[in-house]
Amino acid sequence: MNSNTRSFLALTKASMKMYYRNKGAIFFSLLMPIALCSIFGFLSKGLGSTIKISLTNHGTSEVAQQFVEKLKKVKAFTITEMTEAEAALELGKGNIDLEVIVPDNFGALENGKPLPASIQTRFNQAKPQSGQIANLAIIQMVSDIDRKLTNAPSSIDVKSEGVTTNNLGYFDFILPGILAMTIMQFGIFGVAFSFVAIKASGALRRIQATPVHPIYFVFAQATVRLLVTLVNASILIAFGAYFFNFHMMGSYFSFILVVIMSILIFLGIGFAIAGWAKDETQVAPVANLIQLPMLLLSGIFFSRDGFPTWLKSITNYFPLTYVSHSLRTIANEGASLMELSTDIIGMGAWLVLVYALAVKVFKWE
Amino acid sequence: MPTILEVTNLTKTYDNDVHAVKGISFSVDRGEVFGILGPNGAGKTTTLEMIEGLRPISSGEVILDGIKTAEAPYRVKQRIGIQLQASAFFQNLKLTELLEMFADLYGSTINALELLADVGLKDKAGFLVKNLSGGQKQRFSIATTLVNKPVMVFLDEPTTGLDPQARRNLWELIAQIKNRGTTVILTTHYMEEAKFLCDRVAIMDDGKIVALDSPEQLINQLLDRGFKPHAEVPPATLEDVFIDLTGKTLRD
Repeated sequence: MNSNTRSFLALTKASMKMYYRNKGAIFFSLLMPIALCSIFGFLSKGLGSTIKISLTNHGTSEVAQQFVEKLKKVKAFTITEMTEAEAALELGKGNIDLEVIVPDNFGALENGKPLPASIQTRFNQAKPQSGQIANLAIIQMVSDIDRKLTNAPSSIDVKSEGVTTNNLGYFDFILPGILAMTIMQFGIFGVAFSFVAIKASGALRRIQATPVHPIYFVFAQATVRLLVTLVNASILIAFGAYFFNFHMMGSYFSFILVVIMSILIFLGIGFAIAGWAKDETQVAPVANLIQLPMLLLSGIFFSRDGFPTWLKSITNYFPLTYVSHSLRTIANEGASLMELSTDIIGMGAWLVLVYALAVKVFKWE
Repeated sequence: MPTILEVTNLTKTYDNDVHAVKGISFSVDRGEVFGILGPNGAGKTTTLEMIEGLRPISSGEVILDGIKTAEAPYRVKQRIGIQLQASAFFQNLKLTELLEMFADLYGSTINALELLADVGLKDKAGFLVKNLSGGQKQRFSIATTLVNKPVMVFLDEPTTGLDPQARRNLWELIAQIKNRGTTVILTTHYMEEAKFLCDRVAIMDDGKIVALDSPEQLINQLLDRGFKPHAEVPPATLEDVFIDLTGKTLRD
């Protein structure tokens, strides 16, 4: 084995052990993002992507049966059958959005003609949106059934087509954001603090006293962090998919490629800070100054659509904006790398800039 | 004895026109223990680091084991062992893992446990450096300088900050290294240590060597110049009392 390869492998092995024995690093790079994801996952479940409807069916006719089945087929509805008294109580508590009562004479025929009967609905005035939407849908259903029963040809109609909205929820929006944030924090904070500590302690100088150039240690550290971040990102995505039904609409290949690019950008920033700084006290303000604006303004937790134009045009150029936008667009909309060329070019520019800067400001001692 | 290190007119000048080392020349014989003494700021560490290839040489020449340091610092580093003044190691790695890592950096193969046994740390093999005492740290640090079976070992103030027991223990270790035929250069502030360990010493002050000879010769020369001790020197020192009362056993 080439002696440089052997040195590189030895330092990589050492770096790997150092990482896995550092409980704090594991907490911040893996457990914290998982915890964050869980919080947002539960929150978005609580927000309820479906409309909750209580159903009290007094009807016995075939038509009433048809109506109930039709209602249950609507994916956007969660139907729970209960008595009127229960339903009134749940509606009052805000646990359901709409109460539906099918009367006993609904769909009943007299001399081959349907008896007039009304389905009763009540919705929560405090939260009218969901209830009203559901109400409209039910009115539509009932008039459909009515038309069939009376055989009256419908002169006017609405033809609607289902558009794939991928059943995306807030969680699908948030997971790529949390992933981008984790990559940034592990890259900038993780690298800058641990590397500057090694530098300040004199352990890096001890490597300089061997025949191996310390740049091999930088490569080893970068390799370990790249691998660890990739593993952690996979765990995070698997976790999100398994527990919170995260949807990956695009290709995993494109997604991972963007993940790797972003890891390299933020590692570069981390090494540039650690290379420039003498000790931890110099790292903290600079790392925060770079990280905080991105954390708040890159659209990882909420969309940047509401920003004023000037702020939007500045934050457009943040590396984390490129990263979170491209990860999100791949995951949520299935975008290809070609469609994301602006983001890719932006990230490429940052890569060049960051490493040029790192080489310029790096001090070994 | 053949020369292993030849230093000629070695100079270190910094950008701000500070002359840290002012054209010193000396040579070290194979197998000897060579001491560099001098007050803080005399240029001892700078001299060592230029010889080791850790610090660029401003002017002059260093030839170590036939290799010019300035031309091939990495080839020089391959053949020597360096203990830095403040020795620090990667955290969260066990002693054996660190030794194996250092061996890999030199492309050499070692038996880590044997090496630890040589420096009296066999029972600490699974320890982390941060859990070692001061004396144990220094012994471990010396072990890391031996992984490549060096022709020459550089020890920069190896006993500073140690208690008398640990210091004497380290003397024995350094004497062992010498007995195996390895050349040793060390710096120290302790004169009795230099007298005990060193075959020859160079005394530096203000970037220059002001005297170079064996400790005995230097003492004799001083006496020849008519030196009289300030007071009657008792045949025992306070350190002798301390060791007599507390014993030689290590307290780590």
